[in-house]
Amino acid sequence: MLDLSKREILIGLAVGLLLGLGLMSLLRSAGSEGNRQLAVRQTAVVTAAAAADAVAAARADTTSIQIAAERMVDALPLLQEIRVVHIDSRQLEASTVAEDDQGGFPRRLGRDEKPWYDLARELRAAHLTNVAEAEPRKDEVLVAEAADGRLEVTLPLMEGDEVGGAVLVEVARADIALDSPTGVPWWLLALVTLALGSVVVWFVPGHWLRVALVAVLLIAALFWYGSSGLDALAANRVAAETAVRDGALTVQDDLRSVVANPAALDPVDWAKDRYGRPRGFFDAAGTVGAAAVRASYARDLARFQQAFTGLGVIALALAAWVGLGWTRRTYQALVQHRLAYGFVLPAMIGMILLVIFPFAYGVVLSFTKQTLYNVNQPLWELWIGLDNYIDILSDFKVRAASDVGYSINFNNFYWTLFFTILWTVSNVTIGVTVGLILALILNAKDLRLKPVYRVILILPWAVPNYITALIWRGMFHQQFGVINQVIQIFGGEPLAWFDTWYTSFFAVLATNGWLSFPFMMVVSLGALQSIPGDLYEAARVDGASRWQQFRYVTLPSLKPALVPAVILSVVWTFNMFNIIYLVSGGQPAGATEILITDAYKIAFEQYRYGYAAAYSTVIFLVLLTYGIWQNRVTKATEGA
Amino acid sequence: MSKREDSVGHVWQHLILIVMVLVTVYPILWVLTVAFSGQQNLAFIDLPADPTLGDRLRAIIPWPEQVTMSNFVAVFRDQPFGRWLLNSVVVSAATTLVGVFLACTAAYAFSRFNFPGRRAGMMSFLISQMFPGTLTLIPLYIIIVEWLRLGSNYLGLVLMYATIAIPFCVWMLKGYFDTIPRELEESALIDGASPAMIFWKIILPLAKPAVAVTALFSFMTAWNEFILALTIMDKESMYTAPVGLRFFVGGFAEQQWGFFAAGSIVAALPVVVLFLMLQRYLISGLTAGSVKG
Amino acid sequence: MTRSSWLLIMTVAAAVVVPVLASAQTELVVWHAYRGREKAAFEQVVADFEASQQGITVKSLAVPYDAYADKISAAVPRGKGPDVFIYAQDRLGGWVEAGRTIEPLDFYVTPDISERFLPATMEAMTYQGNVYGLPMNFKVLTMFYNKAVLQDPPETSTELVKVAGSLTDQSARRFGLAYWYSDFYYHSGLMNAFGGGVFGEGRDATLDRPENVQSLELLLQWLNEDEILPAEPSTSLITELFNSGRAAMVFSGPWFMAEIGEDVDFGLALLPRIDEAGGTRMKPWMTIEGAYIAEPSENKDAAFDFILHLTDTAAATVMALEGRQTPARTAVYDDPRVQEDPILAAFREQVEYAVPMPNFAEMTMVWSPATTAMNSLVRGAASPEVALEQAQEDVEARIASLRK
Repeated sequence: MLDLSKREILIGLAVGLLLGLGLMSLLRSAGSEGNRQLAVRQTAVVTAAAAADAVAAARADTTSIQIAAERMVDALPLLQEIRVVHIDSRQLEASTVAEDDQGGFPRRLGRDEKPWYDLARELRAAHLTNVAEAEPRKDEVLVAEAADGRLEVTLPLMEGDEVGGAVLVEVARADIALDSPTGVPWWLLALVTLALGSVVVWFVPGHWLRVALVAVLLIAALFWYGSSGLDALAANRVAAETAVRDGALTVQDDLRSVVANPAALDPVDWAKDRYGRPRGFFDAAGTVGAAAVRASYARDLARFQQAFTGLGVIALALAAWVGLGWTRRTYQALVQHRLAYGFVLPAMIGMILLVIFPFAYGVVLSFTKQTLYNVNQPLWELWIGLDNYIDILSDFKVRAASDVGYSINFNNFYWTLFFTILWTVSNVTIGVTVGLILALILNAKDLRLKPVYRVILILPWAVPNYITALIWRGMFHQQFGVINQVIQIFGGEPLAWFDTWYTSFFAVLATNGWLSFPFMMVVSLGALQSIPGDLYEAARVDGASRWQQFRYVTLPSLKPALVPAVILSVVWTFNMFNIIYLVSGGQPAGATEILITDAYKIAFEQYRYGYAAAYSTVIFLVLLTYGIWQNRVTKATEGA
Repeated sequence: MSKREDSVGHVWQHLILIVMVLVTVYPILWVLTVAFSGQQNLAFIDLPADPTLGDRLRAIIPWPEQVTMSNFVAVFRDQPFGRWLLNSVVVSAATTLVGVFLACTAAYAFSRFNFPGRRAGMMSFLISQMFPGTLTLIPLYIIIVEWLRLGSNYLGLVLMYATIAIPFCVWMLKGYFDTIPRELEESALIDGASPAMIFWKIILPLAKPAVAVTALFSFMTAWNEFILALTIMDKESMYTAPVGLRFFVGGFAEQQWGFFAAGSIVAALPVVVLFLMLQRYLISGLTAGSVKG
Repeated sequence: MTRSSWLLIMTVAAAVVVPVLASAQTELVVWHAYRGREKAAFEQVVADFEASQQGITVKSLAVPYDAYADKISAAVPRGKGPDVFIYAQDRLGGWVEAGRTIEPLDFYVTPDISERFLPATMEAMTYQGNVYGLPMNFKVLTMFYNKAVLQDPPETSTELVKVAGSLTDQSARRFGLAYWYSDFYYHSGLMNAFGGGVFGEGRDATLDRPENVQSLELLLQWLNEDEILPAEPSTSLITELFNSGRAAMVFSGPWFMAEIGEDVDFGLALLPRIDEAGGTRMKPWMTIEGAYIAEPSENKDAAFDFILHLTDTAAATVMALEGRQTPARTAVYDDPRVQEDPILAAFREQVEYAVPMPNFAEMTMVWSPATTAMNSLVRGAASPEVALEQAQEDVEARIASLRK
């Protein structure tokens, strides 16, 4: 029998193979199924476009649209129904569905037929948008799932340059079977690799050598399966486009005998992309341009490659985790310390549910170019990798040219970062100093009126800060603010507080300092109670001065409670949105924006959700770096 | 000796405190001025041409031209502000109970047990505070309203607020627990007390000051929150006081700062009351406890 | 009345009532941001609707404005929102682009319906050629003047500067004119008078066009040379100035009325003609509140009947007289009670000189750069050309990255 460590190596390998190869094979089939669906949908579009052409032709030479539509349904086996909707007249111009016929066409649309009308309207708006903007971004060919597994294709009915209506076509799914990517099935590869692994474990001496060899085996299997999968998918895609071409040519053949002018049939034009443009993967002669297909598929393939790589890394990590015995050790730790975990668990569950999920959502979003305009597209179609981060971090335009030479570009990321740090450090310093001094004073044993002082001093925390922040803003007003009045009483000149960044900074700092010291005071008051009185007694006996008592007794004893409060204040102040927004509003010229107000503006004023998520993640990383550093310095998690 | 030293020092201490009290109270007096003025505008100072020093001094003293309760009456009369305050009290109290209880147990484990993942666990509470809330509204909405079906429900809010409050509470309490000598528990263990007993009977009473601080913090977290409460509540009867307050200002509509100020003063009162209640725990828990232990 | 017309009425009534009875109880949920008088009037209109319908109940929810849009964006696309919601047109384009939020209404809104409203308000409800809501009311800036200080409001900018100059005493902090001139929305009146604007064809930004520069130059003239304006304006400051008689004239919207003190005798007048712009009147942007149907709603027909009711003459008259709204429905202004109301009449007059604020998402991207430009301009830190150039650059970049 194998010993424990050898068994674990093999189990690790098995887990890695199962997970890596299994999921990769699922992904491969998903990819080839995606290609098949593409062929089916495009065949439907081709069929529908041919029908729409016939309808348009009938409208142009004022023959009966209804007859043209019926003729199409008869001629094309995939074609099930056609409806023609006209926008301005609100009419159903033709329909091959028996129930729609209420005494001939055209007729006015009924109230329950609103969705058809809306589809036509949607196409018209899409066309307007795409014409107005440089790049098309709205679908001008709509494909949707209909009942009975059919596809509903909606195409614009052009009247000159404008969309006058829509042709709604229901098409049966073409029965397309692509050559599935051939090659070794994943389970066979897994078994072979496992067998090789067993041999290695059995015969090779030395634990780490065994581990290394097995890891190489696993990596080789994963790599081989992944890269062969990519080749297979590319070939599969070409097959899909070939199937679309076949469909188009079949439609052309079917229609030759039906239409008046067979030469006008244009299969290349029927194969439309989502914006209504010919996709151009086959030419009039029917030749499929394999190179063009592969080129257009390159971006998708790159995503598959990323996904395969990601899966491989995860599989490897998991295999290592299991193979090196960490699973066992984790389990043992869980059992051994179940009381401690039990104590922590309830709080953790809430955290995982309400923190981890939004966090993961944000991080995933940060790798996409999601904006308001494409929120409905699936995220993987918007995947842009690290582009957002590169964009944010490579903004080195710290100086800006202006009328009077160079000045600081206040919209620059690094200025904002600098300002945010300045803002955070000053605020926390003020909050802690004032809070601590007040707490020390209020901790004196026989101070009179102590409870009264305490209650008054927490008031800035108690009153909703929305109004107090605005009162502070008013106090800094140039002509009507109290602060400038006081300056004038002492003979000074009134200041325009929000005209320069440092005075504006002073205003927000004063406001936030006022708002945040009570919290620090209360925390310090609580922490001061943890110092046993006999410590001071002992210090006094040793002849320590008051300052020495504070330095060597009070401060060290406060540390365990105060350090976390300081770290968390830093984090909160860093992300303190309200005060900046309400008091300075970023004035002047965005100089007093902090990172979080920027992130907010990117998300809700510029509607760039992906970019805003990346911005938020950068903020997170900055804070994380700080947290790790602070933790090193103070050993806060270790306790006193 | 110490007696004399203290009484000499108290003069300075009172002086500092009085200055701070003035700074603290001044902006709040303006809020009170707006609230009691019966008007709706935020206060700005009013000065004649070529003001004298006296004019200027008078201008910077916050006092309404007339004192009336009409803003306070209107806040309660025109809308169910009382109901909203009650909702806030319920939600905040529940948040405090849930948050402090969960934080106490977790902090106790972090302080007293040595287990793998302890540091990572502590760090994870800290890290959870670092991700900005810019884009978390939608995922939170999905969890609370779509998955847990806790829309228009106190529980949904309590859950979210407790999660926001717990990290600070855990860290604060853990720091405090660390200062309580282990000898107290060890002797209790010898006397045959169970871990739960020790937690309830020895640790918690000793940690009263820290528990009071975290309770106040949890309460405040829930008390002032506005966006989450507004987003998940689909019934006016379930709104909280901060949501109600925001009806008075914002948007292309009149800004009723008088009502807002009056409502803010009313909303601050429960916090003051709570602090008065908690204040007596802000005396050294350790000396009181050591005697018992 | 003839027998046949009775028959017709009975048939129509049956056609309306029977399907409703068949569908038993329908509950419509409507969200709005009304408070105070406006809310009371709205609830009255809702009650009237319930009384007129059988089997339809309406539950209304008031939502504070500050997070109202976010609540809609979170709830409606997930099918958790209302059937009907009321909002200004500024978010319309964004919601249409985001999808699953607003139901298109072209099918219901036949020309005989759209003709009931002031054309500009209907235009505000239209995005990319499609109609998405029925306009309820508009909000437009106009001139308020304190009758204790000023009897004849000026008609032209030249008169304005003269009158305001004589009423201004900077050292005593009295001003002839006060408005939130550093805010881009409030500046729109001057900008449009010069024929300026923010968007050209294809919704591309045109902030730096010369007309906009001219309008800013005039503002700077008022501020720095004529010295008729206070420093660092904000809504609360302007209210305070007007109420204490220290601002003779104010440019503001209908919300300002509720902020004016009870003892202040004020009048309303059209915004002045701008002589510097060839005598064109100031044309501020107006916001139009519309009633929209949520796309996931399952009671769209009933919802449309409801918003038809909200915007019909009777309801709009109630909203005007009780709720102090300025309705988009033209017929309301034929009502003698409305005609006798000087305030409603004044706003009705001003609407002829107003431009609906653009309703597309790109508009949101203009505010922040424009605010920065306005602030640095007012501060004297940049010339109009430079400030607008910078803003133009920013807005162009933002629009490009939105469409990317």
